[in-house]
Amino acid sequence: MSLQNEEVEVIIKVKRFSPEKGNWWQEYKLRVDRFTQFTEALRRIKTEQDPTLAYRASCHMTVCGSCGMKINGEPRLACKTLVLDMVKKYESNVITIEPMDYFKPIKDLIVDLDDFYQRMYKVKPRLYPSEQVLKGEAEHRLKPEDQRMLWKFAQCIWCGLCVSSCPSVRNDPEFLGPAAHAKGFRFLADPRDTITEEREKILLDSAWRCTYCYMCYNVCPRDVEPVTAIKKTRAYTKIAKVKTPVIETGEKHTEAVFNSIFESGKIEEAKVYLSTYGLIGSLRDMIFLLKSGKLNYALIKEKPVENITEVRKILRGE
Amino acid sequence: MSYAYYPGCASHGLSKDVDIATRKVFETLGLKLEEVKDWNCCGGGFLDEYDEIGHIALNLRNLSIVEKMGYTKMVTPCSVCLHSHRLATFKYKENKDLRKEAEKRMKGTSISYQGKATAEHIVWVLVRDVGVEKIKERVKRPLTGLRVASYYGCQMLRPEEIMGFESAYKPHSMEDLIAATGATPVPFPMNKACCGFPLMGSNPKVGIKLAFNVLKSAKDQQADIMVHPCSLCHLQLDSLQTRIMSEFNVNWTMPAIYITQLLGLAFGFSPEELGIGKYATEVLKSKGVI
Repeated sequence: MSLQNEEVEVIIKVKRFSPEKGNWWQEYKLRVDRFTQFTEALRRIKTEQDPTLAYRASCHMTVCGSCGMKINGEPRLACKTLVLDMVKKYESNVITIEPMDYFKPIKDLIVDLDDFYQRMYKVKPRLYPSEQVLKGEAEHRLKPEDQRMLWKFAQCIWCGLCVSSCPSVRNDPEFLGPAAHAKGFRFLADPRDTITEEREKILLDSAWRCTYCYMCYNVCPRDVEPVTAIKKTRAYTKIAKVKTPVIETGEKHTEAVFNSIFESGKIEEAKVYLSTYGLIGSLRDMIFLLKSGKLNYALIKEKPVENITEVRKILRGE
Repeated sequence: MSYAYYPGCASHGLSKDVDIATRKVFETLGLKLEEVKDWNCCGGGFLDEYDEIGHIALNLRNLSIVEKMGYTKMVTPCSVCLHSHRLATFKYKENKDLRKEAEKRMKGTSISYQGKATAEHIVWVLVRDVGVEKIKERVKRPLTGLRVASYYGCQMLRPEEIMGFESAYKPHSMEDLIAATGATPVPFPMNKACCGFPLMGSNPKVGIKLAFNVLKSAKDQQADIMVHPCSLCHLQLDSLQTRIMSEFNVNWTMPAIYITQLLGLAFGFSPEELGIGKYATEVLKSKGVI
């Protein structure tokens, strides 16, 4: 059988929800071929088997971002995912579909995205041009190298998958979330924008609340790499005028890491601890280490890199 | 078989027991670990935000040494060191602008990375190169009856396109290794979640909450003990047990040991020989394993 004609019967188990009945699982059987996207599978279920099934889908081509959901537990766009790919990946023709995590469900696979939009609006997702440009007295110009750098972070389609899978969003109400950071950085680093200081105030404290778990990088259907945007945002700390305690601690820690590598080529934990948390904070952690029976390892002195001049040369960029 | 070995700073510091157990397990399996000569820190997941180009160059320095030593695989017990090296080589190969800048930075140094050496996690090597059956053959003390939570964390799995060993959503390498010891693998909802370590340097209040979430999730599944694959997860999940008890007002522990410490126990080593901590030793005694 040619790949083009390959047809398989699959069972799609949908986690359904209504405010009246709560959650329940419902199974649908259908035949799919190698071109069937999940949006197409859902459309056929809705038109041929169950008109009560609710889901969002619009463009069917990874542009509108409306069909975010969990397929076999993976946060994905239904339009960008082929049914047979998941059958092959998980070696099973039974597939589960659930609404995205974190957001409040409204009906079946549809979730309330108000929280997501609020996060996006907080970072002022538009360019603030100069007065001269607004008056038509000058032109916006962007160097190709700047555009190349910004391009990636401008590709967000507001699907919400990264926020739905972010642990920091769930545990820290002051973290803006990955998508908002990607969008925020796209304007923060745009040389045509005029509200850099205001953007730093909005973005910097939040950037130090990201835990670098790379979930957003992994789930993004447009390869936006929000975590990279957050790392690049943190680099603005060096020039920021206003610094919150979270920013100050983070800055001390990163500088301590850099200094330790510069001095010895390795991370000397005791020095990094002291520089980041001060004497009292370090002593507190020493007590916890003592109780865990691990204090002996704190006294290990690791030998520095022999060719340290090379490491320093690399880091200085001489 | 012989591998270039990159312990990483934590495994030569506060997570020294990770290094100790890994060496013992590899030796028992007849595998040679040759430490990378004059290795430097990978940047620990933080350097790239401070100096992205320097981060790439430092990681390539290690891999360049590995190539000169005649190896194509550099194995590490630390998920963060693994992630750092693989991210650096990925950027170097895929991003022309960064590559150009990194090459400028490396000019005049001893670095001559040919693109042959890659970083691999020791878990991958144990599961794929050695194989579960060979590991089973070495088991002298089956850990029957011990319920072991299988924790993966972040950096060994994500991003999938750069890590590439197994699914980031349905991994099974840790379960395979746990089962080889005779213990019962216990999957739990938070087993691929973040332990919170990267937040300890800026927002420890939330960082420790993430650690608590992971440990509690394993506790809720009635696991006796947890195994993990990372020197930095070790600092977070193992060394913070007492702080978590104090800050979250709980009276339970969920001891977290490194995966080779569990294998080492099954191979007949004592907890002392493997550097296993106080809380884990208490659990092992109470379960009759030692």
